[in-house]
Amino acid sequence: MPQPSTITAEQVTTVALVGNPNTGKSTLFNALVGVHQHVGNYPGVTVERKAGRMAAGGQTLEVIDLPGLYSLAPRSRDEMVACEVLLGEFKGLDRAQAVVCVADASNLQRCLYLLSQVLDLGLPVVLAVNMIDVAEKHGIEVDLELLRQRLPIPVVAVQANRRLGVEQLKAALSEAFEVEAPARMTPFPEPFEREAAQLRGWFEAAPSTGGGAFCPGIARRLLLDAGGYLEADMLARGRLPDEAGQELARARARLEQEGCRIPSIETESRYAWGHEVLDGAVRRPETYRPSFSDRVDAVLTHRIWGTLVFALVMVAVFQAVFVGAEPLMEWIEAGMAEAGQWVASVVPEGALQSLLQKGVVGGVGAVIVFLPQIVILFLFLAVLEDCGYIARAAYLADRMMARVGLSGKAFIPMLSSFACAVPGIMAARVIEDERDRITTILVAPLLTCSARLPVYALLIAAFVPSWTYLGGLLNLQGLVLAGLYALGIVVAVVAALLLKHTLLRGAAPPFLLELPSYKWPSPRNVAYRVVQRVGQFLRCAGTLIFAVSILVWAALYYPQNPPSAEPLREARQALEAQRENLPPGAPQHARVDEQIAEISREITGEQQRQSILGRLGRVIEPVVRPLGWDWRIGCAVLASLPAREVVVATMGVIYNLGEDVDHDSEDDRNLLQQKMRAAVWEGSGRPIFTVPVALSILVFFALCAQCAATLAVMRQETGTWRWPAFAFGYMTLLAYAGAFVTYQVGTWIAGG
Amino acid sequence: MVDKTVPLETLLAGETATISRIGGHGPNVHRLEEFGLRGGSRIRMFRTGNPCILALGGGKVCLRCDPELRILVERAADTPPPVTVPGRPSPFSRGGR
Repeated sequence: MPQPSTITAEQVTTVALVGNPNTGKSTLFNALVGVHQHVGNYPGVTVERKAGRMAAGGQTLEVIDLPGLYSLAPRSRDEMVACEVLLGEFKGLDRAQAVVCVADASNLQRCLYLLSQVLDLGLPVVLAVNMIDVAEKHGIEVDLELLRQRLPIPVVAVQANRRLGVEQLKAALSEAFEVEAPARMTPFPEPFEREAAQLRGWFEAAPSTGGGAFCPGIARRLLLDAGGYLEADMLARGRLPDEAGQELARARARLEQEGCRIPSIETESRYAWGHEVLDGAVRRPETYRPSFSDRVDAVLTHRIWGTLVFALVMVAVFQAVFVGAEPLMEWIEAGMAEAGQWVASVVPEGALQSLLQKGVVGGVGAVIVFLPQIVILFLFLAVLEDCGYIARAAYLADRMMARVGLSGKAFIPMLSSFACAVPGIMAARVIEDERDRITTILVAPLLTCSARLPVYALLIAAFVPSWTYLGGLLNLQGLVLAGLYALGIVVAVVAALLLKHTLLRGAAPPFLLELPSYKWPSPRNVAYRVVQRVGQFLRCAGTLIFAVSILVWAALYYPQNPPSAEPLREARQALEAQRENLPPGAPQHARVDEQIAEISREITGEQQRQSILGRLGRVIEPVVRPLGWDWRIGCAVLASLPAREVVVATMGVIYNLGEDVDHDSEDDRNLLQQKMRAAVWEGSGRPIFTVPVALSILVFFALCAQCAATLAVMRQETGTWRWPAFAFGYMTLLAYAGAFVTYQVGTWIAGG
Repeated sequence: MVDKTVPLETLLAGETATISRIGGHGPNVHRLEEFGLRGGSRIRMFRTGNPCILALGGGKVCLRCDPELRILVERAADTPPPVTVPGRPSPFSRGGR
């Protein structure tokens, strides 16, 4: 991804798009830059950075879509990034040179609060008033002419969804560069301005401030942010002298004595200013008239009807994700098999062929198979988000989630995790409270994702008897499957509660969520969002999962040609010689071929048993013995580290079935089941796979974190390896404990 | 003069009120104020409960308060209590499409 610093080498002017959430800011961004946009993260933090180029007034402008926010006082990571980009304090990024402030015509008061903060920064600003048509429908009239007279900046009316006013906005923007930055009209009382000026002088006189001038307004911002996040960040980077903290505290104490309480002085002064600007410029209807959104909400947020619709929507999404994705997933699997065969036909047999076929195509393919599910899930979420339903879903789920110590916003990430934990963890970005977000990320992989289904299907069909109850209404196999889903949910709830009371303890801020007016989803917005999210998933799959797949491949491939396989190889050579000598068309051909195939499978099996991974399996045998597992199961579980479903193929290999176990093919699955039923403990004739052992494996896979993609995306979203390491540790412990209890209790019941 | 302020939770669905005071942990109160929920703001209770839904400005917000956050409001004098049965209006009573 090109870093912004390389872009600015050719002196492109940067314009930041700022606005409250739900003001149509992203729609306006799409209308301004079209397809010439790229999405990445801000260096070092997982805040989405959307940027694109547009031409305005003969020059090219780089437009940055900053995260939607209500205030520049930074509390969350989103606000921190926006604040620092505008202040020119974001490390490694140049300061934005102009700002477009996007406002919702129906809610100008709150938008002007943010505008007032932006005006403090001394940059050219254009106010884009969006959705005037919607406001008019609600009987709200906005006198733009009066606003233009009162505000020192250009004011442009836009309708971003119909791309109206975009040209006027561009023109206003290029004009804004020509004129001087607007003279500030301070909304603050005199004592505050005096302290701010004094503080600024003090900063500039300080010897060590990490180079670079401070932008106007920085002293005011620091003074107002009683939470001290910006202050802490700038101190940590050596941007402020060490004594700045005490200096700020002293200034705030002096202000308090003069009747300027921090932080309430900010809302008081800025809202008072906004009130003056809007006085007479906005007319609202005298009496309450229910809008279309109100009428829809009367049903959709209703305790009974709303919950019913909510349940139906969720069922529909799930149906689409699981049933709709099925044929596509089969295509991809077939395509991957083709690709593997093509590699085998082009590359000569040997380490390289095996690496490409099993490590690259096999490993990454196992993850790409889930792409259709992820695309469909993202598509539904993007549509629901764009039309405004997601906020209602969060409202309805909040009551339930609050019991776990989370908020309604954690619901969508959790729900997505039933399809795949990767999009679930990515969706957790909407949660502003950092502790809530980390908790959600940590428990999301406990929910049963679709990658567990092949493992469940194989083991349940093979070892759980198909007893029926209540006249065929309930089947034991189905009950076990449901039980595994329930186990994931229960453990996730308990884990979330524990985490919120221990590691991630702390008072959550009040849950505050805007319910935007309903609108038809815009295909353009939906398409951009899906493409961007899927791109992130693929980038993740393409890097770390790739690396882990190759590691596991190597551990299963080396050392080559173990001496113990020598007799088998000799036997194969003898058989091959025998076949050579047979007359063409002899009836024995088929039988000899079969024998060669059988012995080849045994060679592969022996090879893998002697591989690094196979030996590791033997090393950990004492550890997995209390779970009822032999070393072969332990080995298969180790091999499934990159992705759970790999365990099916690995078991196939280890039980001499060859590598082409297709978990979707009925015949292959039956064959593997037979082989597994026949497996016995070495040295004794006892079967390995009993019902307690199968259940113990099932419980292990329900709770473990065997998924490189999940761990990689956790790293990406939390910015540190600490959390994925923690998740892996606690989930593996849980899985081990669960499997242990299951096996021991199971054997006791079976024996008793 | 009689203090006519009541806690936000006591508002019935459909009632209009003006916020008089928000008490609680400073930063949390400030957060609500930045959002536009501040002394003098006119609100309308859309759905009661915790979380509740309030109509504010031109839009609606969903808000869940913890016990330490107290929002005191003053019922609007000019709007009589709603005529319909308060609490849980039937979803279809407003004649949706």
